[in-house]
Amino acid sequence: MTVSDAGQPVLAAPESRRPIGLLLVAVPVLLVIWLIIWPIISAIIQTLWMRLPEGGDTFSLETYRFFFSDGYSLSNLSLTLWTTGVCAILLLVVCLPIALYLRFSDSRIAAYVQGLAIFPMFVPSIILSFAFIRVLGPNGTVDLLLNAMSLPKIRSPYLTPWGPVIGLVWDNIPLTVLILLSGLGNVSNQAIEAARDVGAGRFALLWHIILPRISNSVLVAISFAVLGIFSAFTLPYVLGPAAPEMMGPFMQRTFRELYEPRTAITQAVITFGFCIVFGLFYVRSVAKNRTP
Amino acid sequence: MKRRDFMLAAGTAAGALMLPRMAFAAPGVIDVYFSSDQNVIDFWTNVVKPKFEAANAGVTLNLVDGGDGPGVAAIGDRAMAALASGADPQADLFEGFDTRVTVDGIAKGLYVDFETAGLSNYSKVNPLAFDIPTNLPYRGSQVLLAYDTTKLDPANVPKTWADLVTWIKANPGQFIYNRPNKGGSGGNFVRRAIYEANGQDPAAFTVDNYTAEAGETMLTPAWDILMDLAPSLFDGGAYTSGNTQSLQLLGQSAVTMIPAWSDQALSAIAQGVLPETTGLVQLQDLGLPGGFTKLAVLSNGANKDAALKLADFLLTEEIQSAVLTELGGFPGVSWDYISPELREKFADLIPQSIPNFPSGDWEKAINDGWYRAVAPNVDPAS
Repeated sequence: MTVSDAGQPVLAAPESRRPIGLLLVAVPVLLVIWLIIWPIISAIIQTLWMRLPEGGDTFSLETYRFFFSDGYSLSNLSLTLWTTGVCAILLLVVCLPIALYLRFSDSRIAAYVQGLAIFPMFVPSIILSFAFIRVLGPNGTVDLLLNAMSLPKIRSPYLTPWGPVIGLVWDNIPLTVLILLSGLGNVSNQAIEAARDVGAGRFALLWHIILPRISNSVLVAISFAVLGIFSAFTLPYVLGPAAPEMMGPFMQRTFRELYEPRTAITQAVITFGFCIVFGLFYVRSVAKNRTP
Repeated sequence: MKRRDFMLAAGTAAGALMLPRMAFAAPGVIDVYFSSDQNVIDFWTNVVKPKFEAANAGVTLNLVDGGDGPGVAAIGDRAMAALASGADPQADLFEGFDTRVTVDGIAKGLYVDFETAGLSNYSKVNPLAFDIPTNLPYRGSQVLLAYDTTKLDPANVPKTWADLVTWIKANPGQFIYNRPNKGGSGGNFVRRAIYEANGQDPAAFTVDNYTAEAGETMLTPAWDILMDLAPSLFDGGAYTSGNTQSLQLLGQSAVTMIPAWSDQALSAIAQGVLPETTGLVQLQDLGLPGGFTKLAVLSNGANKDAALKLADFLLTEEIQSAVLTELGGFPGVSWDYISPELREKFADLIPQSIPNFPSGDWEKAINDGWYRAVAPNVDPAS
């Protein structure tokens, strides 16, 4: 993933090579238009034009009005926003120290830490969910260990909003660490040493030297995590409370079990509306990097 | 190899990979898709498949776990598309499927009409189980209560709804049921509460008597019953997201009692997922509802005839008895077609009638109503 390459112009293409370049990107662009842009447009149209019983279509904001006046739907949306926000903060808190350690440590342990940090990428979320119930669930491994030390049981996060938060953070650690790590590659050792020479402390180093250089990566990492978490399905479905639901399970249930495709598509469009904000962050930061 | 040759070769290879893969169902291999849980697939793997393949040389079964209802429904949608284009749907038989789910599926003739398919055992099917001619009931299951006998003496087990409510309230945090749309054990517990709120009369609900007003007047009292129970449930009103998760909580001794499918609880005990000290009990005033699991055969499947033979085979006494003895379910055929010894043996365990709650609009109203009224665990009026 070249999400935060150093800002070098890709190919200083002379005028004559331009058509070939355009041709090369035509396939992915057309695919994106066909498989992503067009479904989005058609979904929006489907939710806005209502078929009248006597035939013909009419413009209507009915499903949106329902969503934003329905307390249940709104509480699902706010839970989703809460989960996403908490996960994003926790991911930064957890991953930034790991990434910093991996960037600046030369020890052999670092390789193992990196392996461990990437490990969640290879665990399917359904397996993670059931392992979570076994470990953090009621009378799970943690409870057994605590009990063996004659300590009281934990208040299990299973079936509470914290269940999906813990699962999603664990699941998103690898991607976040990798993106932050690639951003930290832009921080040169000379810059660090120069700052140290003039007497900068650890915190000053982080705040004035490192963070400004990786702010882009942080933004990209957060955008990626948020995009994935906002529409997460398996972990909130298995580990979360019955209500409020996150948007992923809510949409699926509306579509598959209430047989209300229009309502489900409306929920999807609203979800998309929130995600596109973070998508734009990502696009903007990539574009900023590309212009020399 | 010159660089140019290499590029050409690589390009051809990549191009070949990108071509749509043309896959056809193998002749003589019946593709069966399951929406049921693992214990049912195990039953097919260990009992149905060897017996059927032994009786029909050259035919093999390919058992595919479709995940859940929507998973198999997606295969149904694919078959529908294949029907329109005359392609091979690569599927022959759906287990645990309601043919109504595929939009236009019945109208366009996607599913075999069993009334005219000429199955020799079709007349044996239990009349209680009949639904529509494209759904073939082949096994039944009922929800009962599974409990931990080390924590609850079998002598004191609640046997009526009222006793159950008293027990749940007297033992807060020891009971959990799963969300009604995620696996039928919780769903049928909710339906039992709905019967309770409507004079314990299963006949009050039929496939076509749902109206918005009826839903309002008949379901609201049930939501009140369940709301009243919520604070005494596990974690002050938590609901698991599936049958298996409920079994897991009982197995981890986190709760004392759960509603569970009879077949799933029996196989869980047999496999050690639940301890041997697990007790099973059915309410005696009115049992927890259950239902019959249906099959569908695709009319455009490449192995339609073999699949119909398989459907007929499933209704034979051999398999129907195995449903009782191996799976812990109920036969899909009338009890007259079960061997007298088995009928005798299971007479006490199995009630004369299984309340069967209708699907369709009621199901939708229950799923939506429960999520809005009961699951948030707060008084909507407050």
